[in-house]
Amino acid sequence: MGFTIKLAWRNVLRNKRRTVIAGIAIGIGLAFLIFYDGLIIGMEDVAIRSATASFMGEAQIHRRGFRQTQDGALTVRGSAAVMERLRADPLVAAHCPRTLSLGMITSPANVNSILLVGVDPERERRISRIDDAIAQGGFFRGDNPRDMVVGSELAEILEVGLGDRLVATVATAGNGDLAQEMFRVSGIYHFSIKEMDQGMAFVRLPVAQRMLGIGERVHEIAIRFTQLKLASQRDLPFWEAYSANGNEAVSWADLLPQLKTIFDMTGTGRAVMAFLLIIVVIFGIINTLFMSLYERLFEFGVLRAVGTRPWGVFKLMLAESGSLGIISAAIGVLLSLILIAILSKTGIDYRGIEFAGTTFQDLLYPVVKAYQFIVYPAGLFVFTLLVGVYPAAVAARMSITDAIRRSL
Amino acid sequence: MSPQDDPIIVTEKLEKTYRDNGVEVPAVRGINLTVHAGEFSAIVGPSGSGKTTLLNVISGLDSPTSGEVWLRGRPLSQMNGRQLSDFRRDHIGFVFQAYNLIPVLTVRENVEYIMMLQGIGKGERRRRVRKMLEQVGLPGMEGRVPPKLSGGQQQRVAIARAMVSRPALILADEPTANLDSETGAGLIDMMRELNRQSGMTFLFSTHDRMVMDKAARVITLKDGRVAEDRQKT
Repeated sequence: MGFTIKLAWRNVLRNKRRTVIAGIAIGIGLAFLIFYDGLIIGMEDVAIRSATASFMGEAQIHRRGFRQTQDGALTVRGSAAVMERLRADPLVAAHCPRTLSLGMITSPANVNSILLVGVDPERERRISRIDDAIAQGGFFRGDNPRDMVVGSELAEILEVGLGDRLVATVATAGNGDLAQEMFRVSGIYHFSIKEMDQGMAFVRLPVAQRMLGIGERVHEIAIRFTQLKLASQRDLPFWEAYSANGNEAVSWADLLPQLKTIFDMTGTGRAVMAFLLIIVVIFGIINTLFMSLYERLFEFGVLRAVGTRPWGVFKLMLAESGSLGIISAAIGVLLSLILIAILSKTGIDYRGIEFAGTTFQDLLYPVVKAYQFIVYPAGLFVFTLLVGVYPAAVAARMSITDAIRRSL
Repeated sequence: MSPQDDPIIVTEKLEKTYRDNGVEVPAVRGINLTVHAGEFSAIVGPSGSGKTTLLNVISGLDSPTSGEVWLRGRPLSQMNGRQLSDFRRDHIGFVFQAYNLIPVLTVRENVEYIMMLQGIGKGERRRRVRKMLEQVGLPGMEGRVPPKLSGGQQQRVAIARAMVSRPALILADEPTANLDSETGAGLIDMMRELNRQSGMTFLFSTHDRMVMDKAARVITLKDGRVAEDRQKT
């Protein structure tokens, strides 16, 4: 077998130009498959980060039914105890309590519907990026209970700026009576996310709790894990542990199911890329091997004439196919490394672009995983062997006298 | 042992007909031939007379349309493809008119290839290759590759490869066709000498007058039939 492999390598390298061209053609396919995979993983990471880090968090705990009804009376049961438990949980990096209530906001110039969010500024900073997105003013500097932070588009609609007065109206929990409070704009943020920039306003948690009449209870506890991937693990005991006592713990995948669905569909994209690679490999390998075969008909005839069995010729052609696969895989890995190295420095700027209900907040970088450089090249190698079976069978079954006669 | 006592090739009513675009073209027509061990024989005749076809059928590279070939007493029609491959490997050496060698293999690798197929150990292979290259006048050329050799040298390497596994029969199809007359004459002299030394049977096709003159037996083919079979004394 060693001699067959040696002979195969020498044959493949005999016509270096043809081998390199075929290797590059197949290698480009592999490089794009690796790159595409890295890009998809990077895109998933950015999309999840954008969706979770902007405001949502990687997971949330609510009273069961709150998400569907937005009923202000459905507060997290035992929220203080839950938060105490979260503080001690090794999987949880940070958490923050919130109240959420639909309401109206009025300025001297205009009126708009909003989601009024009560937040604990210090803890909110550890979960969301509202603080980073502040365009004017600040995110609850000092301790003025009348501070309100609004989105840039909402400020435009209401025609207000820093220091201007606004009146928020919400329905109190339980009886539905209207509660009104006057606030002053202390900060304006800009996220490039329409729903947030136009439809949300933030006030301090105790003020919101007082308006809603819910005491110290909260509607939502947003959570950030120590590792982002934990939020995607359906079998994590965390979900069951915190989905008790009438509460429910849900991950970003439940909160943004459209994003999860699209990520699931990326598997199809990978399959399409792999299929295209397979087509390139089929034509590349078959074309190269048949060119090589017909160019060396007499040699095959001689090999058979002097006693090489058909299986020996089959093995030789298969080894040549495998050698071409190894060269192509090496070229593909090299090209993908170059492509990834370049884009890892520059990144791809999709910031501000909406994708499945979220908006990219960061530059997109391809993510390199070890398996991309093991599984895909190994798959390519195996596939070249499979594709090589056809020309190898043709070579093995070729009539010796035909081979000799046709080449003279 | 007298050559006449030990036939190495026997053909009986050998026929080979090709079909070309629906037209049957007879290449060999009812040839009865006996070649004895140790002979140095030439098959001669004009182009299209059936020389190459006869050699191909005798060696089992091609199958006859009818008739039978016995090699060393074994009928080729009774062997399957694998048995034929093994039989050629062990009993027949081939020399073709050109492109005999695998260009990516060195001279040593080309010569030892058949011995590798036979499973002969590396040490023995190397020893035989060295000795054989000395016999064909190419000592020290083991590391060269065929494209770096002249046509005559390549044919000598091909002869070395054909003989190194010590087959009973060497078949050579127009071995001097691509060589100048002086090189061709030298090659045939060398083959004749090797034939005398080793006792191997040489059967070659040619239309080269010089080669015919050096053969001990000349079998003349015409239109696929033996027109003359002349044994020189």
